[in-house]
Amino acid sequence: MREGGRLRTWGVRLLVAAFWLAVWQLVACAVDSRIILVGPLEVLARLVELAGTGEFWASVATSLARIGAGFLGGAVSGVVLAAAASRLAAVRELLAPVMGALKAVPVASFVILVLLWVSSRDLSVVIAWIMALPIVYTNVCEGISQTDPALLEMAEVFGLRGLDRVRLVYLSQVLPYFRAAVSLALGLSWKAGIAAEVIGLPDLTIGEHLYDAKVYLDTPDLFAWTVAIVVVSVALSAVVGKGLDAALRRWEARP
Amino acid sequence: MSAAVFELRAVEKRYGALAVLAGATARFEVCRAHVLMGPSGAGKTTLLHLLAGLESPDAGEVVRPAGVRLGMTFQEDRLLDNLTATANIRLPHARLRGAEREAFLARERAALAAVGLPVDARPVRELSGGQRRRVAILRCALADADALLFDEPLKGMDEKTVARVMDCVVPLFSGKTVFWVTHDEREKDLLPDPVPWTVRDGLIFPA
Repeated sequence: MREGGRLRTWGVRLLVAAFWLAVWQLVACAVDSRIILVGPLEVLARLVELAGTGEFWASVATSLARIGAGFLGGAVSGVVLAAAASRLAAVRELLAPVMGALKAVPVASFVILVLLWVSSRDLSVVIAWIMALPIVYTNVCEGISQTDPALLEMAEVFGLRGLDRVRLVYLSQVLPYFRAAVSLALGLSWKAGIAAEVIGLPDLTIGEHLYDAKVYLDTPDLFAWTVAIVVVSVALSAVVGKGLDAALRRWEARP
Repeated sequence: MSAAVFELRAVEKRYGALAVLAGATARFEVCRAHVLMGPSGAGKTTLLHLLAGLESPDAGEVVRPAGVRLGMTFQEDRLLDNLTATANIRLPHARLRGAEREAFLARERAALAAVGLPVDARPVRELSGGQRRRVAILRCALADADALLFDEPLKGMDEKTVARVMDCVVPLFSGKTVFWVTHDEREKDLLPDPVPWTVRDGLIFPA
């Protein structure tokens, strides 16, 4: 019964996807202008062509490595700062306006500003870091503050203190909040990082290819690179999400 | 203040307008089981929380042996929902490593089997209420503690399960001070040579 339900769900999803691809193809045929709109078949053909080149994979790898480094930096510093803020009210008060500003200021403003301070090569690292930091910080702070006081009382009675309390009580309470933050921050960092590359134009990156496609009115390339960005984003989200879930399950199942 | 006994000296405790304890005085011999009985709302749980150091008296004094290590089964289970039964029971033994950890794990598994609980990789959130209760009792009974505090641990448990649980935990009480809060006077017969106490009208008396 459950298997049948799952098959039906996937069937419906495939039909919906096929419907919109058909609409896209029909509109492209009706417009009949490669500069304005290209159909999905042509985009797919261009993507396959690009995927056969070393430059494509080098560009994806460069963008992924830089944005990934920024995201990791943002996640780690978010956790560390959240732990400090939860322990010391002064840190929390000091960081509140900084985190508020990081969330409120438009990405484009940050990109232009940061470009004045760092080389275009490091721009996407900083932007991905700026995107991930406030999300991870806010969620981990929330997880720590939501830790059941009854559990902390229990830990107190059993003499569980310091790092043991963090490892055994806080960690198990905060992990679901961290997992949600990673999921959200990863997508945002990736998209903002690519946007930063489009403005900063570091060599051999996805952003540079997007910019070139725009300058040369190469719409098939623009669509193909956009599809590549979406595919990498979905794959990254699935790999990291499944990896985290598996680690979480292993941690929960330990004797 | 350090001492070799647990003692309440004219302890008063209020919650707003409600006076729960009004001059409770008692001296609890160590290495004995003490059964605290009384009607609902008499202040038994408050008394246990004072002895555990979780609350402070409004007046009077609570004296505990210096450096005493405690274990406690609360009215609620207070388990870490996403950890296994063995990880929860081992919580007070956070520093165990290597062979010591393996030896304790074997003790945990034997205790779980003895009280009729499965030994598996499920987090305790997937266990029934009764099973979770037994995990909370074992966490307390197996703690490396000098005094064990139980707040209505057997509430809602059927007789057969009670017998299995007590067969498993009573031998672990040897040489420890046990405070056992209950509504049910029959429970004092389950403990070895207990000192019965009645908590009523904000005071505590030998029963």
